[in-house]
Amino acid sequence: MKFLKIAIKDLRTEFRTKGTINFLFLFAFLSIMLFSATVEKPEPALLWIVFIFAGMLGYSRAFLREVETGTLDALRISPVSPSSILFGKILYNSVIMLMLQAFVIPIFMAVFDIYPENLILAVAVLTAGNLAFVVVSSSLSVLVIKSRARELLLPILLFPVVFPVIISTVQAFSMAVSGNLDGIQGPVSVILGFSTSMLAVGYLTIDYAFIE
Amino acid sequence: MIVELKDVEKSFGRFKALKRITFSVKENERVALLGPNGSGKTTTVRIISGQIRPTAGEVVVFGKRKIDDEVKKKLGVVSHNTFLYEDLTAFENMKFFAGLYGVDESRIRELLEEFDLWKRRHDLVRNYSRGMKQRLSIARALLNKPELLILDEPTTGLDVEGRTRFFEMLSSYTSAMIFTTHNLQEAEIVCERTVLIRDGRVVYDGKSENLEEIYREVTE
Repeated sequence: MKFLKIAIKDLRTEFRTKGTINFLFLFAFLSIMLFSATVEKPEPALLWIVFIFAGMLGYSRAFLREVETGTLDALRISPVSPSSILFGKILYNSVIMLMLQAFVIPIFMAVFDIYPENLILAVAVLTAGNLAFVVVSSSLSVLVIKSRARELLLPILLFPVVFPVIISTVQAFSMAVSGNLDGIQGPVSVILGFSTSMLAVGYLTIDYAFIE
Repeated sequence: MIVELKDVEKSFGRFKALKRITFSVKENERVALLGPNGSGKTTTVRIISGQIRPTAGEVVVFGKRKIDDEVKKKLGVVSHNTFLYEDLTAFENMKFFAGLYGVDESRIRELLEEFDLWKRRHDLVRNYSRGMKQRLSIARALLNKPELLILDEPTTGLDVEGRTRFFEMLSSYTSAMIFTTHNLQEAEIVCERTVLIRDGRVVYDGKSENLEEIYREVTE
């Protein structure tokens, strides 16, 4: 259960400093306001774009902060497996992601006057998509920690890898919003399968990526 | 032997930081890794503590070739990097690491009292002085009662009083120790044996006596 200790430590630090949360919430809010002023016919997919850009900038912080403060070495010398560290970071990012969703979804619905026919399914699909995004971005963050241009490199690596999740979540979310659920199993299966595969890839590769 | 390095090499890109380093550390032995800045001391202890992997050669720590969790539970590392979370309190830091090592919380109080930090345990580490941070860093390293203490230039940034206090603390510690320093006097005071590293090679391995003379000889 060491991953839980790592996630709790990160959440405690984050709630104290609010370095990532404040930034993510502000960024998401500004994006919605910008879209509301510029987009005439809002599509439900806009919501997913807000999550992608906010997440892309925010989720990598969990690992990068450890690099910047030198505490990644503290984890390297401690008796904790790299996979526990990865799962701890995924759990931490998942909590941040759920908080972001709880903040963004009501604002988005109110601003764009979009009310899903099947709200529970729409939120479930978004959560699954965001969770896949968290898994991919957390796993890829480990790969870029040794790079000097890590904050620039991560989005370049992330976009192509996460593309199937983006497409599938947009499809499934649009179906849940319109209430036409025919064929929603397809994109949902892709999201779940993809996140499971990426979790497995992250688990299998982190040992090599974590230690220089 | 609790640490054995045989022909260990480490490269960072084209730069060869270590060139066939060979030495060993016995139980309860205090060994100084002495050398100028950039000689490869930190790289050597980072390999021993499992932070980085060697490019070539053999590293055996506590009889194991892989620095796994079992080995890490027997190690304590103090560095010029404090390995502390600045936005957590001293107690939260200790509790977090105690959790990773599976150490009882009573040990935290014991150490914080020993290092005179108990009264300020609820202060954020970022508000600590350099000396206090280093004391907390040593307390963190001793949480698991390590069989081997690795000290990587631990007195960097400490004032005279801080250094004196640090060496007083070390005198009560009886297990094996690897102490990296570029200070000849510190090596002589703390350790009975010195391994002198220069340009990634071991150029002297022997008693910590007349180090000034030996250092002059090998560097000329």
